[in-house]
Amino acid sequence: MPPDNSHDDKILRVRVTAKDADTLRALLRDERPDVGGRPRTHADGSVGIDAYVPARKAEALEQPGVTVKVVGDATATGKARQTEVGEGDRFADPSAVPRGLGDKVEE
Amino acid sequence: MPAHTNSNARYLNTTEVDSALVRLAGAYPQLSRLVALPEPSVEGVTCHALEIGSTPDGGKDCVVLTGGVHAREWGSCEVLVLLAADLLEAYRRGTGLAYGGTRFDAAQVRALLDGLSVVVFPLVNPDGRHYSQTADPMWRKNRNRAHASGGPACVGVDINRNFDFLFDFTTAFAPNAGPRVSDDPCDYQTYQGPHPFSEPETRNVRWLLDTYAGTRWFVDVHSYSEDMLYIWGDDENQSADPDQNFRNPHYDGKRGLPHDTAYAEYIPESDADTALELAQEFCAGLHGVRGGTYTPMSGFHLYPTCGTSDDYAYSRHIVDGSKSKVLAFTIEWGKEDPNSDAASFHPPWAEMQRIVKDVDAGLVRFCLAALKT
Repeated sequence: MPPDNSHDDKILRVRVTAKDADTLRALLRDERPDVGGRPRTHADGSVGIDAYVPARKAEALEQPGVTVKVVGDATATGKARQTEVGEGDRFADPSAVPRGLGDKVEE
Repeated sequence: MPAHTNSNARYLNTTEVDSALVRLAGAYPQLSRLVALPEPSVEGVTCHALEIGSTPDGGKDCVVLTGGVHAREWGSCEVLVLLAADLLEAYRRGTGLAYGGTRFDAAQVRALLDGLSVVVFPLVNPDGRHYSQTADPMWRKNRNRAHASGGPACVGVDINRNFDFLFDFTTAFAPNAGPRVSDDPCDYQTYQGPHPFSEPETRNVRWLLDTYAGTRWFVDVHSYSEDMLYIWGDDENQSADPDQNFRNPHYDGKRGLPHDTAYAEYIPESDADTALELAQEFCAGLHGVRGGTYTPMSGFHLYPTCGTSDDYAYSRHIVDGSKSKVLAFTIEWGKEDPNSDAASFHPPWAEMQRIVKDVDAGLVRFCLAALKT
């Protein structure tokens, strides 16, 4: 099934946990959710990964051997972060030069 | 001495990423050269890179650092812009550099810019970044409408699937491998495009590798999973059987499965060792800042891929013996923590600044180690 993440939908961040690596691999191959990070194996052998899916698709990821936990509203989080993006051009003044975040250590 | 600006209050918008490079080139004319990429983006934005080093390229070993390929991974641009700013200021002032507990003395800073050309191309995909920062924050692709025939999801190409490496994935991979790529133009995230290098953004990266013929290392900055990935991404690495390689059609239909004996991608042992060593150096430099732990591993262990920048960069010398060998890496910065919304493609800017310090410390140590190889 191809992904169907129309950008008009709210995208949820969900934590997908499969009973084992083969189950997760099959889910990713067949459902093709957008993912972040990489599969992480837990002590009990289960394997989890972040996925980003429209709300209406989140339930479809639930299958035998697979649990889906909603972590948050990724679209809302991203919209909130958009308020942390600069406006205009902070370097418009030719004398404005970027500085890095490292400390310059005199020796 | 330039009038430095305490300008790190927010994420950079698309205009500011480019103007930051222009200002750095203007402030450090003896140490940097502004490079105009030959092709504007799909929506007409002219892109720049910045070559830094105490002398112009002139045959020195070169490291090419790219970022902003995936639109939503905003902080990748800041990682590279602020790294360039740090190196330039420290070199000119004759200081060391400190990122938390990771410190480099003035001699190391000098050795880096005397010995290397460092080419930073922080925003490969300006149209996508602008769209992600102003409309759909989860947008990943470029904004090419030429291949669209349906809804808004049918816009754009995943630049990091558009390079020429196992592009015909339906032939190259095992049917059940499930590489993270799509030939469906309406795939929201991973549409590969109609053919390799169909996108101007991808061709600009290729142009950098062609132009800086002394390039020996390539690092593409992405998010997220706290990994330092090295080639290959299509299958497990092996150094025993040169016949098992991406050019050999005998292995079509067998690639991309973990833990099998049918196929693994060949890499000479010396290259595998050096790639691992450099990835470990990056992780050690990063760890020293505030204790972060990134994992060095081959890209396949993230998930099977094709058409990616790192595999293409390394494959070039195999496909064309006249090209230099480029050891290639992908950084995946940022935490994966299901209990925190700070762990995402767009961390709060306060956290992103800490990540920038982590990754920049890792990159400085990576470059210093590369100089010795």
